[in-house]
Amino acid sequence: MALTGLQIYKLLPQTNCKECGFPTCLAFAMKLAAKQAELSACPYVSEEAKAQLDAAAAPPIRLVSVAGPGHRVEVGNETVIFRHEKTFYHPPGLFLRVKDSWPLEQVKGAAKEAMDYTVIYVGMNLHLDGVAVEAASGDPETFAAAVKAVQEVTDRPLILMASDPAALKAGLTAADGTRPLLYAATAENWQAVAEIAKSANVPVAVRADSLDDLADLTEKVKGAGIQDIVLDPGVRDPAGTLVTLTQLRRLALKKNFRPLGFPIITFPGEGASDVIEEAQLAAEHIAKYAGFIVLDRFAPEMAYALLAWRVNIYTNPQEPIKVQPGIYEINSPTADAPVMITTNFSITYFSVANEVDGSGLPGWLLVADAEGMSVLTAWAAGKFDAEKIAKTVKTTGIEEKITHRKLIIPGAVAVLMGEVEEELPGWQILVGPREAVDLPGYLKLWKSF
Amino acid sequence: MTTTSAPLPPNTSAPLLTVVFRPYEKRVEVPPGTLLSDAARLAGVDVLMPCGGQGRCGRCAVIVESGSVRRRSTQRLSPDDIAAGYALACQTLVESDVVVFVPPQERIERRIKETKRAAKIELPFPYDRHDQPLRKFAVTLEPPSLADQTDDWSRLQRELARRYGLRNLQASLPVLRRLPGALREGDWTVTVVVELDSWDHPEGPPRLIDFLPGERLESLWAVAIDIGTTSNVVWLVDMMRGQVMAQAADYNGQIARGEDVISRIIYASKGNGLQELQELVIDTLNRLIAQVAAEQNIRPDEIYKATVAGNTTMIHLFAGIPPESIRLMPFISVVNHLPTFPAREVGLEINPEGTVDCLPGIASYVGADITAGVLSSGLCDSGDLSLFIDIGTNGEMVLGDCSWLISCACSAGPAFEGAGVVHGMRATAGAIEEVWINPETYEATYKVIGDEPPRGICGSGLISLLAEMFITGVVDKSGNINLDLPTERVRRREHGPEYIVAWADETAIGRDIVITAVDIDNLMRAKAAIYAGFSVLARSVGLSLQDVQRLLIGGAFGQYINVEKAIQIGMLPDMPYDRFHFLGNTSVRGAYYALVSREMRRRLTEVGRMMTYLELSADNTFFDEFNAALFLPHTDLSQFPSVAALMEKEHGR
Amino acid sequence: MPVEIPVEQWPGRVIEETIGANPAEGGTRSRVVKVGGENTLPFLFTDGEMPNLPRIAIEIADRRPTEWSPLLLEAWGDVVDDPAKWAKAAEEAGADLVLLQLSLTRDGGNPTTAADAKALTRAVLQATGLPILVFGPGQVDADNELLVAVAEEAAGERIVLGICEEKNYRTIVAAAMANGHLVNGRTAMDVNLAKQLNILIADMGLPLDRIIMDPTTASLGYGIEYGYSVMERLRLAALQGDKMTQFPMLVTPGFEAWRQKEAKVGEGVPASWGDWRQRAVLWEALTASDLILAGADIVVLRHPETVKRVRTFIERLMAK
Repeated sequence: MALTGLQIYKLLPQTNCKECGFPTCLAFAMKLAAKQAELSACPYVSEEAKAQLDAAAAPPIRLVSVAGPGHRVEVGNETVIFRHEKTFYHPPGLFLRVKDSWPLEQVKGAAKEAMDYTVIYVGMNLHLDGVAVEAASGDPETFAAAVKAVQEVTDRPLILMASDPAALKAGLTAADGTRPLLYAATAENWQAVAEIAKSANVPVAVRADSLDDLADLTEKVKGAGIQDIVLDPGVRDPAGTLVTLTQLRRLALKKNFRPLGFPIITFPGEGASDVIEEAQLAAEHIAKYAGFIVLDRFAPEMAYALLAWRVNIYTNPQEPIKVQPGIYEINSPTADAPVMITTNFSITYFSVANEVDGSGLPGWLLVADAEGMSVLTAWAAGKFDAEKIAKTVKTTGIEEKITHRKLIIPGAVAVLMGEVEEELPGWQILVGPREAVDLPGYLKLWKSF
Repeated sequence: MTTTSAPLPPNTSAPLLTVVFRPYEKRVEVPPGTLLSDAARLAGVDVLMPCGGQGRCGRCAVIVESGSVRRRSTQRLSPDDIAAGYALACQTLVESDVVVFVPPQERIERRIKETKRAAKIELPFPYDRHDQPLRKFAVTLEPPSLADQTDDWSRLQRELARRYGLRNLQASLPVLRRLPGALREGDWTVTVVVELDSWDHPEGPPRLIDFLPGERLESLWAVAIDIGTTSNVVWLVDMMRGQVMAQAADYNGQIARGEDVISRIIYASKGNGLQELQELVIDTLNRLIAQVAAEQNIRPDEIYKATVAGNTTMIHLFAGIPPESIRLMPFISVVNHLPTFPAREVGLEINPEGTVDCLPGIASYVGADITAGVLSSGLCDSGDLSLFIDIGTNGEMVLGDCSWLISCACSAGPAFEGAGVVHGMRATAGAIEEVWINPETYEATYKVIGDEPPRGICGSGLISLLAEMFITGVVDKSGNINLDLPTERVRRREHGPEYIVAWADETAIGRDIVITAVDIDNLMRAKAAIYAGFSVLARSVGLSLQDVQRLLIGGAFGQYINVEKAIQIGMLPDMPYDRFHFLGNTSVRGAYYALVSREMRRRLTEVGRMMTYLELSADNTFFDEFNAALFLPHTDLSQFPSVAALMEKEHGR
Repeated sequence: MPVEIPVEQWPGRVIEETIGANPAEGGTRSRVVKVGGENTLPFLFTDGEMPNLPRIAIEIADRRPTEWSPLLLEAWGDVVDDPAKWAKAAEEAGADLVLLQLSLTRDGGNPTTAADAKALTRAVLQATGLPILVFGPGQVDADNELLVAVAEEAAGERIVLGICEEKNYRTIVAAAMANGHLVNGRTAMDVNLAKQLNILIADMGLPLDRIIMDPTTASLGYGIEYGYSVMERLRLAALQGDKMTQFPMLVTPGFEAWRQKEAKVGEGVPASWGDWRQRAVLWEALTASDLILAGADIVVLRHPETVKRVRTFIERLMAK
């Protein structure tokens, strides 16, 4: 179980020597508790304390990685059940399944379309993570050929899916030099599969239809020398995956149950009949505890929605929330509508935007990049000064959208009025209300200013 | 051009304009475009500017009786005010000859807060006058003769070495110049004042800093100083006894240039603002030093040492060090522990050879006042989990015990010190300090400091008022005034709803004393910031506020808080009253301890070393806790069981 | 290896509330709808029960909503010109509830009057047997005026009045108390604000089983994670026994999704966004599905196809 900062502090030397790079032992302990520091930074920690801290620090869900020549995916090592408790760390890998029973051109085409897909979302280039190749043909050579074909079109990691160890071995040989996930070891084949995984040092998924059997199997595979394991509990429908994946997360985190302390693989396509249904189920798996998600359908709109959702859910809720700086149009403003400016702390932005929105009056809202700080904090820290305001006005291009030259600054920074006037020749600077809630009343009178 | 500290605008070629200030009948000539506040300063008229000339507080309102001005901002002025000629001095530019009236109630008060003689200050440890760096030694020398031609200085050194083992003694030229007079005036008996070593030079060498003719061992004077953002305090200490012999306090002269540290830092960064602020605080301190000296019938130059505590910004301004980096990310101060320096380097009027020790601070927003507070409050003396708070504008707090300390600062704003509130004022005569509201009629009764007609409401009065309004339902738990109540005391004005505490004819200002929705909002934010700070500190180390065994409250304002009311509004945690300890000014007390004990100085350094500073702007936890605390008493009522029980009893609400 | 399945039994339970009143109860509804009542996180039937599945409300406007996406106008056809017909169509499209959204102005630009609001409410009540929700235009003064009129007109029907905010809750709660309705309390995506408004409403004496909380949400891709986590936190607090959070949650994924470009428009967007029609429904459906997983008890939707999709997803999640 995770220790609190104070509990860790009691195990440290308490000399405040600063050699770890932190000002005090307590500060270091709090960073350790937050997993933002390594115990090895402390040169004086006793062996006994080290043992205790290491035990507490061992991740309850093992970090498992797969890699292709040009891309690596790490999943697991999650520490919370709900993202607000801290954050989710490792977004699940999104894979597309192709089958070796398809014509090679179709395999390649499907893989290429999905792997070439990219979409820009809030400044990030998002894409899927890799391809799952399934040995549906039953023939190891056909499988190997399909794996080769996929590798021709992508450098992302693979999941090799076969129940026949011979096929897995052929696929692994074809994927030589990469680190695919082998899927799957079952009660029937686990010895052979484990042996292949061990010799190639690659992770392996284990599949069983009950948690009891699954735990048995992971223990066996572990006993065969495999550490990097992925779980398939065999459920496919929305209700079953939600309940089972929740139970697995709880077992790992709350019970520290090692036999099931591994990432989970899901197959939403097997529980869905079309794109939208598959997307709904995959979205459930993104939010609720999957580590690898193997899709059976690809459509750009579906990929976009799932990639955006994955970013959303894996955003660190502890970090100050920012909105994109720039111009925000509220209630279809025209060239004579008022222009207001505020900072890019999301709560600040939303309070201002909501008030203007609710007033029914049109307006241009300029959002300055104040590093996600509220108006007063940003002003105090020098991030929202006359220069920044002037820069925002000039760089957003608001001057081309309006015919007047009046700018409303927040009442909390009334002090900046004169300086802004100097920075923005030709502009009239108006001091707005201190609180967003007074904006509607202020805007009603705006024309008279 | 917004700054009020800037020298007059360069537009000197234009003809000068005359500004007359009534009722003082003072006049001054200034170029067009000069701020009224600058003109007032030139004319020697003091205009109160608690917000530092930012146009935020509205307290510098003056009446323009004739002439033309341009109002850059009219914040806090109503259309009626403007029609009546009101203008904010700090935001109004002179455009022609003008006559300005400075309303009497806004004149800067110079009232002294602690005139009454405080109880004797006890030291919690034995005082050892021999183990002090600052010492007096009396010696009688053999007079020189034709047979013994040793010079005066060598003669004195020889005797001090022989009798007291003082070697390698240093002395400055101005001191040596006075040697022959002192020796002969005392008929070869002389008392020397020696500083054996200093905080940063524990090995010495000893420095002879004064000669007194004859044997003068009855007393040896030093001062302990606290430079608060709002109040300054000086304690005069007799180092022969280790006792505080006189105390004096006054408002920090910088207040008129900004009420909070941020405003002052900004002020300091413009023009010669830094120098101006330094002079203002030194003036205040020198006046206080003169006052305590007079009380003991001594001259200020008989004071040979000063120790100073204060927040990091105040220490920077006191020493004349630019404080700008304190407010800018990543919030770094120039120096947390200043080396010992001669008093004359800052113009502090004690003995010119005397030195100043500033106590060590920890971070930009946790300064020497807090290390001093931790030391003097006894926070780190006990294994009991204790929480120390210095209630003031900056809201610094420390949680810990003898083995660890963690601190944070959560800007509470100046609401509890009477600023940012329409009828707020400091705790002086005429301030409403306690309010009671009748739950049936919603009528208010109140108690005024000095039993005179009220002029405003001070911090403790505001806490009491908010608690009463909440308990009687004048406001809901969000602090919204209920305008549906059957009383004329609630009404809507153009700035929103307000509650009338005192009708105009009861007051000394001839206007209704009210609390507005905006005031309530400011108070709610201040109290929420304090409680959120408590919660975040406790949570950061995985503890709960209920684990706290002692709540140590420092700050002069803290002494007057009614705990019950402060708990009712959710400002202080709901715990048995015997866990609260009100300590008064812990900062000056810490400076005093540091003055009289090597052990205490060592421990101050240690406190600084072991203190962990939690920067609240680094994550969202504070914001969350702040929102939770922005409710009466708190969104999570289970944290305030006594208030829940009271509400149950009052209304079943 | 027998694995001991961790079960979480919670001390708290969401209040079960009834929307709509049938003739025996003083109303005219042919159906009444129960919401809430769960004592588990969504669909974790090994932990507890969820007696009522999440409900779907369809939002209808009081006049042709010209600012809506052409896809929505196309999907509903001519009924958007007549709230009564639209209400009927919504019922046929599978709604559990009909939400009438009042506008600030009528066609021609005149402000919506109390009389207009009454007439619209009456028309919708007559057109459908489903329980209804009526939301004001979202401006404090207008909401106060119109919702009081609506509350009086629908007295006894046990409708849901919205939107009740910290700024105007007194008037709307008073109207709900006087006429036997529920209120939908909306706050801005913050756990504490949501709970604070609940307390303020409860302090006025409205029975707790007539409070619905609307913690506000955002669309997929536009801050949904804040709403999602706020809902998870509120629901956890409710299950842990915090009485002032034990209310069913209503969210408006339809409104949120359809105001974003992804759903609203088909041109001038990146090719990587894919097919507009499918994307639009997907955007609304995923926003709604994700919020249902976070604990939504009522989702307000706009597109009939989304209604089907979300209904199917809910039913599949309810399968034990």
